[in-house]
Amino acid sequence: MPSTTTIDARGAFCPGPLMELIANLKLVEIGDKIEVLSTDKGSAMDIPEWVKKVKHEMVGIEQDGDIWHIVVRKMK
Amino acid sequence: MSAPALFILLCSGEHEKIQMAAMAASVAAVSERPVEVFVSMNALKPFQKNPGGERYAGGEFSKLMLERKVPDAIELFEQGKMLGEMKVFACSMAMDVAGVELEDLRTEIIDGVGGLTKFLSDAEAGQLAVF
Repeated sequence: MPSTTTIDARGAFCPGPLMELIANLKLVEIGDKIEVLSTDKGSAMDIPEWVKKVKHEMVGIEQDGDIWHIVVRKMK
Repeated sequence: MSAPALFILLCSGEHEKIQMAAMAASVAAVSERPVEVFVSMNALKPFQKNPGGERYAGGEFSKLMLERKVPDAIELFEQGKMLGEMKVFACSMAMDVAGVELEDLRTEIIDGVGGLTKFLSDAEAGQLAVF
């Protein structure tokens, strides 16, 4: 069963949330999802860009107040 | 086709410039782009185990970054190395002038001592950014 891991990167500035996402992607299986919680506007733009470039999958991105929930699926 | 390698010539001791170089290096490395960094002049100090005094020299933006939770530049280089393909060389000339030995440097980040000629020759294969 694919799992979802949540990373709390609130308060961290660019490229902190991206780096935390990448470090955690190494630890999960293909098909698993990672949800990044971030308060950094730049990361809300940069993470989808990175995901597209290295060919993982953006599952979704939602803003809840000051917090972005960015969900990524590991594809390789 | 993979992206051309990014070559970073880092010679400023200014926190803001080292931060930008660290961001560019780490983000490129984790984006499947090989990175080679050449550290010289005043930029050598922050890479020393015991830099003596403040690790970074900086202006207003440096103060802001230190006050807030901005990732540390040296740690960003380290993360880039762990998560991507990055080599970091210390300039042999700057080390000789400063009297710094390889064991004085953060060897978890610095791969070795290098010369400018080799770095420039390597850099012909990619893009060069200077900080």
